[in-house]
Amino acid sequence: MCDVQSVDFWRLLYVLLKQIHGGRWTESDAIGAQVRFVKSALWYHGYGRPQLQRLPADGSAGSRELLLAFSWLLHRLRLLERLLARNRLRTGDEASVCTCEDELPSSLEGAAEAGPEDRVDVRYLQWLNGRLRLQWCSLHAQHQEQCKLLHKIHLFTNGSHMDQNLGHFSVTETDLIRRPENYKQLLQLLESETMQLEAFLEWKQLEPVYWQWMETVLDNMAEEGNICESQDAHVEKRRLPEVTSCCPWAEKLTGQMDRLSRDLMALQEQLHQLVAQRRAAWWEKVAAKEELQKERFSATARKIQESVELKLRGLTSLCAPKKNAMHGSCRLVLRNKQPASRMGFGQCVSKEAVSALSAAQVSRELQVRETSLQRELEQLRQECRHRLDKIAEGLEGVICISP
Amino acid sequence: MLPAGRGRRAAAALRAALGEGAERRRELERRAARSRALLRLWDDEEGERPQPGSSTEHEDRPSPKELEELELLNRALEKALKIRKSILKTPLEAQGATAQKWAGEARAPKKAEELQVPVPVENVLECRKVRAGSKKPLLSKKPSPFQLRAPYRTDPDVKKLQRKVPARCVAQGPRTAGKISSKGMTSKQGRSHRTASGTSAREVCAAAEPQETLGLSESAPNEQQSFSGGDSDAGTNSIAAGKHLLDAGKKSCGFLGESSNKVDTAGAWGRSTSPGTGTLQEKGSQLKLPLPYKKAYSKNSRAWERCRLCQTSADAAAARTRFMEKIQMTFCSPKLTPSPAEIEEELRGLQDVPSRLRQYVEVEPADPPTLQGEYESLLTLEGLQTTVSQCLQKLQLLRAALESQLRLRPDCTGDVGSCSPACHPARGQTCDSADMLAVPLLCYSSLQELRDLFALKLQVSMLHQEIALQKGTITGSQNNLSWKRPTTSQIQLLALHRQPKNPTLCLRVLSKHSWRSGSL
Repeated sequence: MCDVQSVDFWRLLYVLLKQIHGGRWTESDAIGAQVRFVKSALWYHGYGRPQLQRLPADGSAGSRELLLAFSWLLHRLRLLERLLARNRLRTGDEASVCTCEDELPSSLEGAAEAGPEDRVDVRYLQWLNGRLRLQWCSLHAQHQEQCKLLHKIHLFTNGSHMDQNLGHFSVTETDLIRRPENYKQLLQLLESETMQLEAFLEWKQLEPVYWQWMETVLDNMAEEGNICESQDAHVEKRRLPEVTSCCPWAEKLTGQMDRLSRDLMALQEQLHQLVAQRRAAWWEKVAAKEELQKERFSATARKIQESVELKLRGLTSLCAPKKNAMHGSCRLVLRNKQPASRMGFGQCVSKEAVSALSAAQVSRELQVRETSLQRELEQLRQECRHRLDKIAEGLEGVICISP
Repeated sequence: MLPAGRGRRAAAALRAALGEGAERRRELERRAARSRALLRLWDDEEGERPQPGSSTEHEDRPSPKELEELELLNRALEKALKIRKSILKTPLEAQGATAQKWAGEARAPKKAEELQVPVPVENVLECRKVRAGSKKPLLSKKPSPFQLRAPYRTDPDVKKLQRKVPARCVAQGPRTAGKISSKGMTSKQGRSHRTASGTSAREVCAAAEPQETLGLSESAPNEQQSFSGGDSDAGTNSIAAGKHLLDAGKKSCGFLGESSNKVDTAGAWGRSTSPGTGTLQEKGSQLKLPLPYKKAYSKNSRAWERCRLCQTSADAAAARTRFMEKIQMTFCSPKLTPSPAEIEEELRGLQDVPSRLRQYVEVEPADPPTLQGEYESLLTLEGLQTTVSQCLQKLQLLRAALESQLRLRPDCTGDVGSCSPACHPARGQTCDSADMLAVPLLCYSSLQELRDLFALKLQVSMLHQEIALQKGTITGSQNNLSWKRPTTSQIQLLALHRQPKNPTLCLRVLSKHSWRSGSL
């Protein structure tokens, strides 16, 4: 019995999750693909109900399971808030502060096209490489120019915006003032967004009812489930728990972990030696000193310990992911530095609580990221060089002078 | 020639990268055009014409002439290397003779270049001439040991300019003849008389506006990543593009002041007109949004604020918690293990830890003067040591968690890529819900801050791309070079991605990792 509701529900989850993940979808995506995607996404977010994974791949059954999954996502992912924020109408000058990899690096790897059979001239590759370089240069210049323009516009329109937090207009808003006829659609979008927000507020009113209902659904399913569970138990055990290595995501993650582990162990080794050295030197010095001096020293020792603890306090937060690291895009706002209030990650600046990041802070983070990436790149190049050296050894008649 | 598969893949990867870049440029240009229009006369209508296009972005292949030139340059470099090798062994008197001979060779390609170059463009062309012309004077200058030092300055006024920005713009270490100076960046002044002094080796890396360059993406201490600012027109001249391939690995380029020119003239133009229509500068602080928009905007922002402040009622919260707990019990692993999303997020947080820790370590003095200093240093290092082991432990836990999660992974038959959402991880996950509905602002306080920010963002993007390309080369070469004796062209390909850090020699043209070395 094909459950029409199930198909719709799969589709709903598919569309919602695709939005969350920044992917694209079309009307014609097959139900099989949708089901696979939803199952995979739910696994990714940590939804561990086995009944869901066992649902048929053609989407013909399971609307209640999907309802449970949907409710779980609603809370776990803050689905509604996230979608609202993601689709927020942006009229400002936006800049993203995310330091993560740009999407779709897969386009750069293994894009093996079935091109013409001719061999590729290495000069062609040189040429492409050169063009790529140039392109980055040009992009940079363009960005820098854009910065100047933005700054000017922000400066000139300072004081005009009715929103005190912003203080000045963005390019879009300024253009809107100049040529309002071009922006009729913007007005409509703004109004429809307001309606969505009001719908959200209505939902908040109904929330208690919803969760109470979900509890009953879960209870009912648990009762029914107990009957079938013994039948399915042995089926599940048959699944071989092999770690599929075909997953590129897992490979990427493992690669990152390996690299991180190598780096950390190298650092550990280095520190080990340093500390041993210093400790030996220290104890020598201490042993040589008089007893008196040692006593005097113990008072200052405590102070030093405290100051070192303070210095290293920032380190403990290093190991935890930055809790308020933002990934989305932010609106650029020109604001004079306020010495009284500190502008850090997620700290309130004005009376209304808006999350304001400071460009200086973000730049510092980017700097660190850049250093890490440079190191990674250098390591990769080293590897390449080693390979080349090995090959070069086996060759004759080639001038191969290794840097 | 390269074996088909390997070369094609590399070419495809590069082309894809170029395509993405072109897209970004177009988008940027659109935005810039809009901004420029606003800064002109307020009622100015003519600002709607499209910008001089980046037509040559569509060039898919280098012209045969470019290939020829590349070949010539390659050969010249080979010769240079041969000479260098022999020079290292023979006395230095031989230098003069060979230098001349080689300079003669160098002049030949240079002439060929000069003939074809069309008039208009700027710095890009400079670079070629500089390259070709520069080989000669350098060789005759240096006594011993034979180390060519860039930048190749023969132009006295350029020399002056360079001295103004000494530390910042000079290339790191001596470079060889083979390494051509990087993207020719001329000074602002230099730009105007570019073709005039064709034969002289122009200063390659004069920073036109030192204060701008200084702010730009200064990363690791010894490295320079100031960008060469190419005009969009310049950047798209495909002939010139070919020339840049053989740039030396110098990382310093001056910022071309061209774009600042544009904006300044725009502003000036605006300022000098009659006060009737006015400019943004004059009217900016009195502008008002049109009334319908204003109403809609304030309604919208009030709605956002209400949503942000809206709390979940106590009943709802209680029922929700109960539901979540019950459903958690039915999971395969009822106890909370990090989900794949959380594992990924934690890993992301750890990625920069080695770099940061290293910074701490480097800051510690090697030999502290006082007893207290030594004690402090010791404690700091011990603290760092503890942190490192904590991180390693955490990594271990994450690894185990990943393994257990992978065991539960749903079967993904067929193309994993398309169905796996993990390829596009859920962004913005770490915000908690209160902040999600607030207006995300990024505040800057000066133009310099903004520019630094964008420069760094671009640099990070570029590094991501380079790393991806480099990985592609490595995985590709694994397959190709193991089973048969590799050809020289394969070596060339591998070397395409090499970075000659050691400034003594480059591997012929291939260590054009010169451009790889981020002459940006």
